[in-house]
Amino acid sequence: MAISSTHLFLLSFIAFSVLSVISKAESESELVADLLALQSESKSGVIHFDDRAVSRFLTSPKTPRPYSIIIFFDATQLHDKSELHLRELRNEFGLVASSFIANNNYSNTKLFFCDIEFRESQSSFQLFGVNSLPHIRLVGPSAKSLKDESEQMDQGDFSRMAESMAEFVESRTKLTVGPIHRPPILSKKQVVFIIVVLLIWSPFMVKKIFAGETLLHDPKIWLAGAVFIYFFSVSGAMHNIIRKMPMFLVDRNDPDKMVFFYQGSGMQLGAEGFAVGFLYTIVGLLLAFVTHVLVYVKDATAKRVAMLFAIFVSFWAVKKVIFLDNWKTGYGIHGFWPSSWN
Amino acid sequence: MTNNSLRNAFGGVLSFFILLLIGVLAFSIRLFSVIKYESVIHEFDPYFNYRVTQFLTKKGIYEFWNWFDDRTWYPLGRVIGGTVYPGLTLTAGTIWWLLNSLNIPLSVETVCVFTAPIFSAFASWATYLLTKEVKGAGAGLTAAALLAMVPSYISRSVAGSYDNEAVAIFALIFTFYLYIKTLNTGSLFYATLNSIAYFYMVCSWGGYTFIINLIPMHVLLCIVTGRYSSRLYIAYAPLVVLGTLLAALVPVVGFNAVMTSEHFASFLVFIVIHVVAFVYYIKGILSPKMFKVAVTLVISVGLVVCCAVIAILIALVASSPTKGWSGRSLSLLDPTYASKYIPIIASVSEHQPPTWPSYFMDINVLAFLVPAGIIACFLPLSDASSFVVLYIVTSVYFSGVMVRLMLVLAPAACITSGIALSQAFDVFTRSIKYQLPGVSSTNELDAGETSSTTAEAQNDAVKTEKTEETSKDRPSRKSKKKEKVQVEKPSTKAKAEKKRLLALPLEASVISLLLLIMLGAFYVVHCVWAAAEAYSAPSIVLTSHSHDGLHVFDDFREAYGWLRHNTDVDDKVASWWDYGYQTTAMANRTVIVDNNTWNNTHIATVGTAMSSPEKAAWEIFHSLDVKYVLVVFGGLVGYPSDDINKFLWMVRIGGGVFPHIKEPDYLRDGQYRIDSQATSTMLNCLMYKLSYYRFVETDGKGFDRVRRTEIGKKYFKLTHFEEVFTTHHWMVRIYKLKPPKNRIRGKTKKSKSL
Repeated sequence: MAISSTHLFLLSFIAFSVLSVISKAESESELVADLLALQSESKSGVIHFDDRAVSRFLTSPKTPRPYSIIIFFDATQLHDKSELHLRELRNEFGLVASSFIANNNYSNTKLFFCDIEFRESQSSFQLFGVNSLPHIRLVGPSAKSLKDESEQMDQGDFSRMAESMAEFVESRTKLTVGPIHRPPILSKKQVVFIIVVLLIWSPFMVKKIFAGETLLHDPKIWLAGAVFIYFFSVSGAMHNIIRKMPMFLVDRNDPDKMVFFYQGSGMQLGAEGFAVGFLYTIVGLLLAFVTHVLVYVKDATAKRVAMLFAIFVSFWAVKKVIFLDNWKTGYGIHGFWPSSWN
Repeated sequence: MTNNSLRNAFGGVLSFFILLLIGVLAFSIRLFSVIKYESVIHEFDPYFNYRVTQFLTKKGIYEFWNWFDDRTWYPLGRVIGGTVYPGLTLTAGTIWWLLNSLNIPLSVETVCVFTAPIFSAFASWATYLLTKEVKGAGAGLTAAALLAMVPSYISRSVAGSYDNEAVAIFALIFTFYLYIKTLNTGSLFYATLNSIAYFYMVCSWGGYTFIINLIPMHVLLCIVTGRYSSRLYIAYAPLVVLGTLLAALVPVVGFNAVMTSEHFASFLVFIVIHVVAFVYYIKGILSPKMFKVAVTLVISVGLVVCCAVIAILIALVASSPTKGWSGRSLSLLDPTYASKYIPIIASVSEHQPPTWPSYFMDINVLAFLVPAGIIACFLPLSDASSFVVLYIVTSVYFSGVMVRLMLVLAPAACITSGIALSQAFDVFTRSIKYQLPGVSSTNELDAGETSSTTAEAQNDAVKTEKTEETSKDRPSRKSKKKEKVQVEKPSTKAKAEKKRLLALPLEASVISLLLLIMLGAFYVVHCVWAAAEAYSAPSIVLTSHSHDGLHVFDDFREAYGWLRHNTDVDDKVASWWDYGYQTTAMANRTVIVDNNTWNNTHIATVGTAMSSPEKAAWEIFHSLDVKYVLVVFGGLVGYPSDDINKFLWMVRIGGGVFPHIKEPDYLRDGQYRIDSQATSTMLNCLMYKLSYYRFVETDGKGFDRVRRTEIGKKYFKLTHFEEVFTTHHWMVRIYKLKPPKNRIRGKTKKSKSL
């Protein structure tokens, strides 16, 4: 009995080890097949990893693995922190993934795109030594230690969104990602729909234009539009859009305090721009009000009060802008008076 | 009546002298650069223009037109005649020729230096004419005075800043003036002049596309808002036909005038205006009932034709990869375009979007006045004033996208602010006049009134003319105007009485007036400060103030002078492209690349050489026949825009074409540094070696004042280059390539070692 039990034990051990060897031999292609299956399941081609998947696809297989894996570290609870841009970066990452897969005819087995969520796979985060987000990491085929031998994508590499991520991938893996396929803003159906609506609408519009009764014939609309565009431009809103400036910053020393005005002329914050744009515009509007509207008011006291109000506000606005400009740029604007005056 | 005409004559003479003074102001405020530095051409591009002008004055117009320049882009060369906007050069050349034939022997350089201030005076007069057409002479004078000293324009037109914008802004304003003039008069004479002014603008600056898009936009706006008139047709149709033909004569534009998308708007509107003109014509000859039938017919046919044309246009446009638009125009339409797709455009500092302080710096208090001017243009809205509104709105939007286009905004801001200021002054002074104690006799009132009523009468005349739409009987127009004035005469008294009621409270008006004058004074102080301190540095001569007085750094001219006198005429000098124009203009030596960055590969070759180790660099330079290498180094005096600071661009551009140059090799942990932590690639590249060769001998430590650190590699020898000249402050260093080594010696050495 004892013999048989030891036999059994031996047998089972042999069987097990043989099995494991076989599974080892098989597993490489199996793992790839699994990854491909997972990839086809996800919409953008980004495979969702958890702790088990990490150990299965990354830690347990022997190096060199037949594939590289690029991992996006995500945290749902941080999605609403806009300064991290996690959600946008995740979208861009998905774009790179889908473009890569499409450009390689859905048959690439060398590189897989994955993401890991912080809440559900904290131990993986520890495994990679990730303690700040956004964080993207490339695990090459021969990387044994996930923490030290995988490559982290620099801030600079995802600053230019999908294109620069693709460059990073291309430079490290020697694979070609190809052009990024961004989804068009309007789908084809929408475009057709809009064209049809326009075609139907155009005869009516032309008729109205000839009759002269559209909104376009109302100068007030044009006036409001012109002043608004002026306000929009002088407030530097274009700068905010192009540079993706936030409306305000949180003070680093004191998280409860908010910074609305940024010192230094090369940059501005959103709220700051609108505030000064408002000051720029209000003076002109008040001046126009006084010269074109107030003169027709009959009541003398009303005139006086309104004018004093306008003078006061304009004076304050101009003074404020001059003060802010001096503070922000640090230029010492001075007159050139005769030296005997000093 | 005689009293009135005397008054008008006096006003005319006064305006003339005011305009003269404005011209003097515009000219003299731009002379700070000459007074503080010297009469010298500024920066980079002006040196090219200067060299072209020299060639023109020496060889004549035909030689200039066919000029193939073999002194740049060696060994490729460059066709100059066909690739430059010739307006500026021809203008300065003509001025020089005129002065010389009058026996005034000015040098070409002097003429070039003062071209920009002269044209600023012209520009302010053109502003007067334009604003006068829109809102009368008072607004015109104010606008001209504002434009004479607006900082944004000063920044591009100080004495010595001999660049295209110097004449182009005048051409821009003058073209707009002639357009408005044609629109107000309906005269073909002005329409022809307008086309010629447009031709001058096309000759001068690539910014002419702004005109050829803005005017069609205005025409379309007029049509859409039901303001079509035969005057509009006369103002627009000749401009498109003649203007396009003339524009195609300029070699650099050529067939682009009909083939690129920038011009398509004008052709589209050209079609539209003909359809509309046809409709109005039919309306005129048919009875209302017949017209209704005709309208449906014409509109349906017109729509079909329009759709077909638009479809063809879209197909044409879509077939080209950039949709027919140049990258710069596209980044205006979609501001985020450049930052996404064209880093080289996005990287240029003058293509950055401005922040609010830029507006305060460049148009100063005008930023406060513009909204009032916009509103004034709407009360009442005329063809001319709607054009001004469109101009300010488009230009302010464009300036929001690119700080460089602030230059186009400046005239518009001056015009609207001039209108706002003059109307405000009008209201406040009127209020004061009618409420001052002692001024009550109607006689004086009447006398004071006439000047402003006549201005108004003129405006009214324009207005009625428009509404009546009877431009057929042109000869009778003058008589009608007279009639109008006569009609108005009796009513002046009643009007004066009405005006008295329209007055504002006395003391508030006085305060407002004083505040407005203070605002104007602040503007003057700011402009003078900007002209004197911010915008007049020639950047070829540098100065710095320190506790022991003024230091002048004239190293650039020292170096170019050395090259001119100590090297052979046909020697080739390699440097980064920034210094190409200056080297050809001042040293008269052949360069490999220059500021006209038309060939990226060639620039990348130089960039690669600069970022390679000595031997590889020597081979590259030797293959290009280069004899001398020039580097700019600011480490000793703290001049920040030197070659070490530009070096990463050389690496990037070089690496873009030659992949063995990789940016990360020059960075330590993503940081660009030249101290002991720098990578070995960085410390061994040619740029590092040429910049810091023997640098440690200056202070014993090798402390770089720009990077604020001690350099990484202090003692080294050059194997393939030898230092031949270093300027006084070490700002320019010139090296000579050593001749190739004797092959025999190498062989003997080898045998010895064996």
